[in-house]
Amino acid sequence: MHNSKAHIWFIAPAIILMIIILIFPLFLAGGISFTDYNLGNKSLEWIGLENYEKMFSRKTYVKMIWATATYVIVVVPISVVLGLCAAMLLNSLRFGADIYKTIFFLPVMATLLAMAIAWEFTLHPTLGIVNSFLANGCGGVREFILGFHWLPWVDSQQSWYHVACANNMDFPYWLKQKNTAIWTICFIGIWQAFGFNMVLYLAGLTGIPRELYHAAEMDGAKSTWEQFKLVTWPMLGPTTLFVVTITTIRTFQVFDTIEILTKGGPSKTTYVMMYAIFEKAIQQNLTSIGAAITVVFIGFILILTFFQRYIIEKRVHY
Amino acid sequence: MQAKQYIGESWKHGILIIGAILVLLPFYMMVSMSLKSQQEIQSISGGLIGAQEVQTFPVCVKTGYSEETCTTKPYIYNYWFAFEKAPIPRYLMNGVIVTLSIFIIQVLVALPCAYALAKLRFYGREFVFSMVLFCLLIPVHGIALPLYVMLAQAGLVDTYSALILPWTISVFGIFLMRQFFMTVPDELIDAARMDGMGEYSIVWKVMLPTAIPALLAFAIFSVVAHWNDYFWPRMVITGNRDLFTPPLGIREFRGGIDSDEFGPMMASIVTVTVPLIVAFIIAQKRFIEGITLTGMK
Repeated sequence: MHNSKAHIWFIAPAIILMIIILIFPLFLAGGISFTDYNLGNKSLEWIGLENYEKMFSRKTYVKMIWATATYVIVVVPISVVLGLCAAMLLNSLRFGADIYKTIFFLPVMATLLAMAIAWEFTLHPTLGIVNSFLANGCGGVREFILGFHWLPWVDSQQSWYHVACANNMDFPYWLKQKNTAIWTICFIGIWQAFGFNMVLYLAGLTGIPRELYHAAEMDGAKSTWEQFKLVTWPMLGPTTLFVVTITTIRTFQVFDTIEILTKGGPSKTTYVMMYAIFEKAIQQNLTSIGAAITVVFIGFILILTFFQRYIIEKRVHY
Repeated sequence: MQAKQYIGESWKHGILIIGAILVLLPFYMMVSMSLKSQQEIQSISGGLIGAQEVQTFPVCVKTGYSEETCTTKPYIYNYWFAFEKAPIPRYLMNGVIVTLSIFIIQVLVALPCAYALAKLRFYGREFVFSMVLFCLLIPVHGIALPLYVMLAQAGLVDTYSALILPWTISVFGIFLMRQFFMTVPDELIDAARMDGMGEYSIVWKVMLPTAIPALLAFAIFSVVAHWNDYFWPRMVITGNRDLFTPPLGIREFRGGIDSDEFGPMMASIVTVTVPLIVAFIIAQKRFIEGITLTGMK
């Protein structure tokens, strides 16, 4: 029965496509990054590490690394923690959990580009409901809460909210200002990602046997927090590891919101890697620089994934 | 005790409701803007749906329509004008063509390979499987640039092929299907062989039907990812409007925040976004399953 040669026809298309579409481009990117090739050029010259030297010395690329790092470092932990909190809250509800689940999952489903535009209008300084909501709240409860006046060390006359109110409703131009743009982009990233993490955590939570909680209670872990520390968190170890990896890989690839909302600006504060590749290689036709960024980008992702595999094998006990 | 529990429960709902409002905020904005008139949008008045007063729309008249056609309620005007301005059905159709082609080719390639990896014994099987595992690590968006260079050299930029080709291989699909086929009992296949079925018919007549639940989840995963994908179409479609997928269409509608009218623009964005969201709400369970499929180990 095994003398058939069918398997060759079964695996050949997949192997050929894997080589052409996934493996060869890795080498192609590596190769191009050592040359001065631009798309359309007839000839190319080997220039060694020049592209990489440019990448690590020029201000633009340093800013690119910064923007990407900021985005990843902010979005990953917050969206993971929010996802976990939402999952635990939903899990402990008596009713209504399904509705919240649907709502929180909507951003994962919806076309991100469309939602980015919707956010752009929501946060628009003159048309958006956010700033009009803030402006209408001057001197009221909203100012007290959102201006952090309830924190003992915040002077209510100096809070950002009060100052903005006093200066003729000078609230931030969220996406246009140097000091807020990247945080606003991060916010949209978190908004989009946390529902996905929540669903993964919900699946993880259902896998924890009830008896463990009873056992923990008998051992004296009475409060919710103690039970969380003793049972939930360790049991969610594998889920957490997976959630963190997949979120990191996804956040590294942020592009849609940047392209449509900030174009990497103001002054390159949101100039993330995917956008840099797009801008350099496609819009400015600097293929070789784009290839160098691609290589660094792939390097980051591969290191991360290997790191995850390593931890899975060494640390996480089931 | 009872009262305490209720207080705890309402606290949770309070937090979750605030979260839900934040999550729904842009959806509200989108729908609301697509229903209201330009004045209402600019003065942020009228709540969700606005006053819906019958009025004549100046932009419409300027475009060359008769005053009669241009006098109507804002919501009708917004959606009507959106369809007049851009070939929305065409974009939606392109989205369907591209996502379906991608999915069908992915299955045609992945299913036999997964079957071979799971159920056939042949020399080099372990090697092929480790190749699949390695390829799982490569993010296709990450290698977009070399792929683009290859397509450009082949003269395929601005074609359907450019939109479809890079996604024809889904190593994730192979992996998933292999894991699924591993659970199918060998007896089933042996029985089929006894009945004189060839390996080809086994794949398509025996394995395919057993794999329907996994395939359905994979279909949702694949279709959602490619329907929403913006980066890749943006790379390879440079100007040909006939090839625009829904996200490229959305980008075109926007045309800068200072474009003349926001109502029709938002109406087009809503139209393009809605099909998937409606499908999601109808078949929620399946969707969540399919999209979090990547969470399976």
